[in-house]
Amino acid sequence: MGTLGLDSLSRRYGGTVAVERVDLEVAEGELVALLGPSGCGKTTTLRMVAGFVPPSSGTVRIGGRDVTRLPPHARDTGMVFQSYALFPHMSVGRNVAFGLEMRGIGKAERETRVREALRLVRLEGLEDRLPRQLSGGQQQRVALARALVVNPAVFLLDEPLSNLDAKLRAEVRAEIRGLQQRLGLTTLFVTHDQEEALTMADRLVVMERGRVRQVGTAEAIYARPADLFVAGFIGRINVLRGRLEGPGRFLAEGPTGPAATLPCPAATPPARPVLTIRPERIGIRPGAESGIPARLVQTAYLGPRTEYHFDLGTPGSGPVPLLAIRDTPGPAEPLHRLRTGDAAGLHWEAEDALLLPDDPA
Amino acid sequence: MAALVLPATLLVLGLLVAPMAILFRISLDRYSPTELVQEALTGENYLRAIADPYYREVLGTTLGIALLCTLLALLIAFPAAWWLARLEGRRRSLAVILTLFPLLVGNVVRAAGWMALLGRDGAINAALRGLGLIREPLGLLYTPGAVVAGIVAVVAPYMILTLATVIEAIPRNLEEAAANLGASPAAAFRRVVLPMALPGIAAGCVLVFILCMNAYATPVLLGGPQFKMMAPAVFDQFVRGTNWPFGAALAFILLLVTLALTLAGSAALSRRTAPR
Amino acid sequence: MLTRRTALGAGLALPALRIARAQSAQVVVGTWGGDYGDLLSANIDKPLLAPRGVEVVQDVGPQDPRKTKLIAERQSRRGSMDVCCLSDVDMFTLAQQGVFEPIDPARVPNLGKAIPSLKRPYSVPHIYSAKVILYNPAKVTAPPQGYADLWDPKYRGRVGLVDILHLQNMEAASIAAGGDEHNYEPGKKKLMELRSLDAKVYPSNEALAAALKSEEIWLTIMWLARGFMWKKSGIPVEAAVPSEGATSICFEMAVPKNARNRDGALAYLNAALDARAQTAFADRMGYAPTVTDAQLPPELARQISLTPEQQAKLRTPDYEYIAKNQSALIDFWNKEFKR
Repeated sequence: MGTLGLDSLSRRYGGTVAVERVDLEVAEGELVALLGPSGCGKTTTLRMVAGFVPPSSGTVRIGGRDVTRLPPHARDTGMVFQSYALFPHMSVGRNVAFGLEMRGIGKAERETRVREALRLVRLEGLEDRLPRQLSGGQQQRVALARALVVNPAVFLLDEPLSNLDAKLRAEVRAEIRGLQQRLGLTTLFVTHDQEEALTMADRLVVMERGRVRQVGTAEAIYARPADLFVAGFIGRINVLRGRLEGPGRFLAEGPTGPAATLPCPAATPPARPVLTIRPERIGIRPGAESGIPARLVQTAYLGPRTEYHFDLGTPGSGPVPLLAIRDTPGPAEPLHRLRTGDAAGLHWEAEDALLLPDDPA
Repeated sequence: MAALVLPATLLVLGLLVAPMAILFRISLDRYSPTELVQEALTGENYLRAIADPYYREVLGTTLGIALLCTLLALLIAFPAAWWLARLEGRRRSLAVILTLFPLLVGNVVRAAGWMALLGRDGAINAALRGLGLIREPLGLLYTPGAVVAGIVAVVAPYMILTLATVIEAIPRNLEEAAANLGASPAAAFRRVVLPMALPGIAAGCVLVFILCMNAYATPVLLGGPQFKMMAPAVFDQFVRGTNWPFGAALAFILLLVTLALTLAGSAALSRRTAPR
Repeated sequence: MLTRRTALGAGLALPALRIARAQSAQVVVGTWGGDYGDLLSANIDKPLLAPRGVEVVQDVGPQDPRKTKLIAERQSRRGSMDVCCLSDVDMFTLAQQGVFEPIDPARVPNLGKAIPSLKRPYSVPHIYSAKVILYNPAKVTAPPQGYADLWDPKYRGRVGLVDILHLQNMEAASIAAGGDEHNYEPGKKKLMELRSLDAKVYPSNEALAAALKSEEIWLTIMWLARGFMWKKSGIPVEAAVPSEGATSICFEMAVPKNARNRDGALAYLNAALDARAQTAFADRMGYAPTVTDAQLPPELARQISLTPEQQAKLRTPDYEYIAKNQSALIDFWNKEFKR
C-alpha cells in the first residue's frame, strides 16, 4: 500500500474544464471520498489516477512516484468499476486470478490467493461460476476480490454501490469499509451519495464544476461547511438572507421587509453574510412566550424524527420559511400538542449558526 | 398467424427451394450432345466430377483461395472494425458509409478497376516504370495474387461490418479493467477482446468464406483464362459446354463442400468460445 | 454481365417475369447490345419496320445467357423472343434441339439474294466474316502464310489466343496440323505444342486487344472484321488470310417455334436482309453483307471481304461435328490446354 498525491491536476476538453487544479494527498490506509453532483469532475479525477484519462496538466503520484506518464497497466491501482466490468467469458476464479496472471504469479500461489480473496468477500466455493450466474451483490464482491487480490498500491472505487438496491447497499458499504480498514487500503472512492461518503470516508473531497470546494472529515464538513454549496450539498441546512444588526444579531428579511432578529456568532463576519443553521440544532417551545416568534406551517412525521416547517415572517415581511427537525415527541411532551397554525418560540445557540458568504447572484 | 406467414413461406419455397430442387434433379440427369438433357436417375455426374483430377484441382484452388481470402480479410478487417466500433456519432456514420461505399459498385466494375491498376499498362506498372525501378512491366494481372487481392477487397466490408457489430457490444470498460489489472494492450486484446469477439469472428468468417467460395466475376476477370475456381467452372458447363447435368452436379458439390466446411468451422469456433 | 445471376437467371427465371408484351405488333429481338444492337435499331427497326407499324423491342444480353434461355424455354408454349440472334455454331446446336421454326423462303423474299453457301434451313445469315491471322507488321516482318506459321519458335511467347474462341482456335490448330474442320483431334496435339511455346490465353477480346496494342503479343487468330476495327482504332495489326483457307463466321437470325409474333419475326428477318440495312454493319463493325445486292465502297470492300480466290477456299465450320463434341472439346481446352 502507498500514498496517493495529486498536484494541481487538470483536465480540459477543448474549451470545457472537467477538472481544474485539484490538489489532494491521501495518506496510507486512508479512505477519501470524492463527492459531488454528476459532472463535477470526480469520475474524471479517478480515471486520471487509474491512467484512463491523460491529464492536461498536473501530476499523479502513487507511493511518492510520479506515474502521470505511465499507462494504466503499469500503475498498480486496483479499481472497482461502477458496472463491475467482470469478464463475462471467464469464471469467477479466472476473473479474480487475471491480475495475478498478468503479474506472472505461478499457478499454485495464484490459486491460494484467489481462494483467500474470495473468502475475504465471502464467496468461497463460487470459483467456477460465470459472472452472469451471480446476483448483483455477488458480482460486486467478485469485482472487489479481483481488485484486492493483487495488493494494489491504491484502491479505486467508482460508485461501487450505485447498482445495488438500498438494503444491500448499507450492508456492502459496511463490508467495504471493514475490508478497507482491516487491510489498510489507501482508497479513493467516487460517489454522489452523501450518506455513503459520510459513513465510509475518513475524509471527504466535495467537488463542484471541476473544482474542489472543501476537503475535510465528515464532522468538519458537516459542522463547518466552507461555503453555501458545501453546506447545501451535505445534509440539510436553513439559509436565511438579511443583514447584521450588530455583533451576534442577524436581521432576517422576507421578500417585502425585515422579519426577525436571530442569534449568530459574534466573530468577524464575511462580506454579504447569510445565516445558516442545521435544522436539528433548532429548539422549539410551543407557545410564543420566549425565543424567536414563529408559526407552524406544516409537519412531516418521519418515525423517529419529525420535521417542523415554520414561518418567521411578519405581516410586513412576507414568508420566511425555516425547518426544524426534532426527535418525535412522546405524548407527554408539550411539543406533541403543537398543531399547524400554532405559534411557537424558536431558539438556538449562537455558535450553532454559521455566517457564510452569499453566493454571487 | 399461420395465414400471415403463408405467403412469405410460399415465396421462399418458390424462389429458393424450387430452383434448387430443379437444379438437383438436373444433376441426376444425363448429358447428350443431341438432346442436351436426357432424363435419367444417375449419380455419374457426381462420380465423374469427383474422379476427375481437374475438378479436384479446381475445387482445391477454390478452397485454398477462399481460406486465404477469409484469413486475409479477417486480419485486415479486425483493426478497422475495432476502430470503427470505437467511433461515435457523425464520424461513425461517415466511417460506416465509407466502408459500405465499395459495395455500391458491382463486382465487375470493381474488377475492372483492379485491371486498370494491375495491367501491363496499369497504374502500378506505369508508376514503377516511371520511377525507373523496372524496365519490363510486371505480370500482375491474371495471377492468383490478383484474384486474392480482388476478392479480399470485395469481402472486406462484410467482414468489417460484422466484426464491428460484435466489438461494439464489448463494453469498453472491460479493456480498462484488464489494463487496470496489469494487462498490456496486447494482453488485454488477446485475453478479453479476442475471446469475446469470437462469435463475431465466426459469423464474419462464415459469411466471407461463402462469398469467396462462390466468387465468379473476380476470378474470371482478374485470374485470367488459366485460373479456374468452381463458380466459373459451373458457368462453363452450363453455358459454354451446354452440359447442364454436369454443371448442376458441380454446383451441388460446391454447395456441399461449402456447407460442410462452414458447419465444421462454426462448430470448432463455438467450442473455443465456450467459457473457461 | 459476368454474374452468376445472369447465367442462372436466364435458365431458371419464370417466363412470366421476362419482357412483358402488349400487342402482337411488337417483335422481341434477342440480341447483343452495343454497336450491333444500335445498328439493328438504326437500320432495321426504325427505317424499315416502324413505318409498317411493327414495334421492335430488343432483349439485350450476351450470347451465352440467350442461348441458355432458349434451352430453358424450349418446352414452354410461349417463348420470350420472336427473333433470336446467335453465331452460326450456337445456332446449329440449338436448331438441333428443334428450337427454331424452319425458314419458309416464300415468307422471306430477300433470302433469294443471300450468298448461297451461308443459307441454312433454320436461320437467315445476317452478317459474316472470316477467321484470319492478325499480326503486328513491325514485329512480324514476313506476313504469315498459314496457321502453321504461328508455331514458328521465333514467335515463342508472342502468340496470344482468346479464351472465348476456343472452338475456332482448335479448328485452326487442326488445319495447321494438316487436318481439317471435320475433326479437331489432330489439333489437340498441335495446341499442346503451342502451349509449350508459351502461347498466352486472354479472357476477352478486349484483353487480347490490349495485349496486341502493348506489343506484349504479336500474333493471334481472330475475325477479319474485328481486325479491321482494331486497326481502325490504332492497334498495330494487319490481317493475313491463311493459305489453308479461311473459315467463315456468320451471325444469324432465327425464329423460335414458340415465338408469339411469327409474322412480325419473319418481316424482321426480311428487313435484316435488305441491302440498305446491310451496308451499315460493314462500316461500323467490319462485317461483310450476306446479300449480293449490297454495294460497299471499294476501299472498304477491299479491307473486309475476301478475294474471289480466297472466297473459293472459304471453309464452313462443321457444325454437326462441333455440336456432337462441344462438351468434350471445351473439357480439353480447359483441362489440358489452359492448365
